[in-house]
Amino acid sequence: MSQPNWIAGPQSLLGAPPYRLAGNTHNHILRAWLGAASIIAACGVVIFGLRVLEVLAGAVGGALLTNAVVALVTGKKITDQALRATLTGVLLALTLPALTSWPIALFGAVVSILIGQCLFQGWLQPALVGRIVTQAAFPGFLSVGGSMLLSPVLTPGHMIFGDIEDTERIVDYRGWLESQESTTHDAYLIQKPVRTLRQFAQNQVKPNADLRYTPLLRDLLPPWSDTVFGVVPGGIGETCTVMLVIVGLYLIHRGYLRWQLPLTVIASAALTVSILPVEVANDYRWFPALEVEQGRAVGLAYVLFHLTTGQIMLTAFLLAGDVVASPMRAHGQIIYAAFIGALSIFMRLYGVLEGECYWSVLIMNLFVGTINRQLRRPVLGMEPPSDD
Amino acid sequence: MKLLSNLLGPRQAFDGGLFLRDYKAITARRPIEWLHADGPLHIPLSVRADFPVTPVVDVGDRVIRGQRLTIPDTQAGLPVHSPISGHIARFESVWSPFDGAVPGIVIDPDGRRDAVPPVQSWADESVIGQLVEHGVVCPMSRQPLHTIIREAVRRGVSELIVNAMETEPYLTADLRTLVEDAGRVVDTTSELADALSAVRAIIAAPFRHRHVMKRLLSDAAGRMVEVAVLPDPFPQCHPHLLIKSILNREVEPGGSPLDLGVVVLPLSTVRQAAEALLDDRAVTHVLLTVAGDAVDRPGTYRVPIGMPIRRIAESIGLTGPVRQAVIGGPLTGIPMRDENAVVTIDMTAVLLFTTTEQVNPVDCIRCGWCIEDCPIGLSPPDLVRLESRATVNSIEMSHLRACIDCGLCTHVCPSQLPLSQTIKSLRDRFDGGEADRETGRR
Ligand code: SF4
Ligand code: SF4
Repeated sequence: MSQPNWIAGPQSLLGAPPYRLAGNTHNHILRAWLGAASIIAACGVVIFGLRVLEVLAGAVGGALLTNAVVALVTGKKITDQALRATLTGVLLALTLPALTSWPIALFGAVVSILIGQCLFQGWLQPALVGRIVTQAAFPGFLSVGGSMLLSPVLTPGHMIFGDIEDTERIVDYRGWLESQESTTHDAYLIQKPVRTLRQFAQNQVKPNADLRYTPLLRDLLPPWSDTVFGVVPGGIGETCTVMLVIVGLYLIHRGYLRWQLPLTVIASAALTVSILPVEVANDYRWFPALEVEQGRAVGLAYVLFHLTTGQIMLTAFLLAGDVVASPMRAHGQIIYAAFIGALSIFMRLYGVLEGECYWSVLIMNLFVGTINRQLRRPVLGMEPPSDD
Repeated sequence: MKLLSNLLGPRQAFDGGLFLRDYKAITARRPIEWLHADGPLHIPLSVRADFPVTPVVDVGDRVIRGQRLTIPDTQAGLPVHSPISGHIARFESVWSPFDGAVPGIVIDPDGRRDAVPPVQSWADESVIGQLVEHGVVCPMSRQPLHTIIREAVRRGVSELIVNAMETEPYLTADLRTLVEDAGRVVDTTSELADALSAVRAIIAAPFRHRHVMKRLLSDAAGRMVEVAVLPDPFPQCHPHLLIKSILNREVEPGGSPLDLGVVVLPLSTVRQAAEALLDDRAVTHVLLTVAGDAVDRPGTYRVPIGMPIRRIAESIGLTGPVRQAVIGGPLTGIPMRDENAVVTIDMTAVLLFTTTEQVNPVDCIRCGWCIEDCPIGLSPPDLVRLESRATVNSIEMSHLRACIDCGLCTHVCPSQLPLSQTIKSLRDRFDGGEADRETGRR
């Protein structure tokens, strides 16, 4: 009847409550985010070609290298922050255009780790620090052929293996699939939809008689489905809206991202863009979302374009919610997210800065401490009970 | 609207808390089983180490079930009874997980079922008298029930809440009691409410097990006992949160429910009181949930007091060596501390796990999970930061006091920081060791 060693050792009899933990560790969170970011990076490879791998290698290599050096100098274990550094590297790469040369990506990663991760630890989103500093240091890296407006995307026949640098300027662009016959090159060189939207808001798009939005939507922007699937020019991870939503839902499902945050970013951006005026023919028109032309709700289409183009989705699902620098409570995250959405749109419509969403995240990062302080929860028994 | 609330249950009345994975699927379905003494019982002479007692039996005596072994020397103390019929083998110290090594008595069973017959003289005995006579204790707060009632009557009580929430994972003793014995729970609750002269008697039960609740509701119908069916995020079972949920009143930091004229009794106490008041039998067995991944046949067992935990494990069977042995729930229990620990009157569960949690703490990543989940509204990382301070101001002190040691913050923390443990030690350090706050938690 006796079972020798039913207790494995004296340690088994000790301990302090709680004896069982939920089991979601820091590493689980980082791995899930890394997985999510890698999926988006893979989409980038499909859309922009193998050239993307060079940017990724530059960014991740730079991040890991800097991390190793920092660990050596400060005498900590290299592995402590390696996962974090990798994630920062991938996130940085997602914000860069596919044509970035690897030394620039590496520079960005070094800045991200040194300034973002070591100096302002937990205050700023490190990947965005790297991105913004890179942009300031090398203003030219965003431009293609001397123009900030144009950017390439692979044609349907040349995905993944096409050469993103073998481009042809398509003037009469009718959409990703529809324009196939108009070029023999590997990639289209077309205007970034974000740029087009900005030009529109600043009255640089000529109205066609009475029609203000129709020329924009019909002639200047690619079809909306292109912006959803991501086959439009832009940063590596900025374009593929549908995958961003999917990985975002995955993170929410795992509990590592609060659903309030992306939802608020998107809702607030939608609201802002529906309200803020566009300048059309020297006339400020408020509430663009309500515009109807020839019986079509062009205003709504305009809002949808704003949401799916550019960096809003990447910011909402991967950058803003990263635990390093977002507010601790869900209430705080809602406020934080609302400002990010609104600021991004404001800067896109009227600003001059490139990378408007990244700027707004960094600006809001500065207020995270204040938000956290203002949103203390009432302590049970210390405030009068609420009557509900 | 009615349909919706039938499906989703009542609204949660406090912020925070967490619906934990409950691991009750197996044990919740198994009926309560008897676990008979198949070897000597090692019974502590006193229910608590600080109550002096005098033994009334001697080595070699034959005792039968329910016979007194000791009588208390003080008003607050309680007698101890023999759970079986057998012979007194010797006096020797036994190990109680709560008190450490305490003087005890060893009884060899003789295999017979002789028991002291119930005395049918309840009419001329007071409830308090019966509770003392049969040795009823409130587990976890470890107070004899009659002292709780005396204190409560002295200070005035308007509500009695019976806590059948059992929101911690694994535990099913209360649930099984409600399944098998709901009527007795209702009867005893109303008797205790009378003894307390409470205006309302409320049984708080979890919505998760709504079939059981329907039965309880029909048992309580027409009685002076209300049933409050609550959603059960952990730690809804804590008295302070029950009061918040049911009465919408808040206990001050460091205060006790009595300050608001409320007595919260765990169902385990009511279970013991039922034996004393309804059956006129001494409390000699406890209802234990024996569960955890090391247990081969987890379930709810009726175990004689004094049975070594090792023998429970042997007769139920283990799947592997135990690497973590816990008395009580997985979030608030105490460690077993010694291999020879025995079952005492204030136990409700024994959990045996094949793994210890391996923690590897890193810096706080400011995810805010602990803040969102803290049922009290505290900010554990801010409190833990007080560790480097020599003194704290009064607000910080009341925050430390307000913490109910539920352990949820440590449970969820992805950085694996020992938050609740640190808060507890800080409270003791800054509070001059205000020990053993009466909680009445199960
Ligand atoms: S242990 Fe204290 S601080 Fe932690 S969650 Fe529970 S009440 Fe809050
Ligand atoms: S759960 Fe842990 S890591 Fe997250 S905020 Fe609380 S203490 Fe920090």
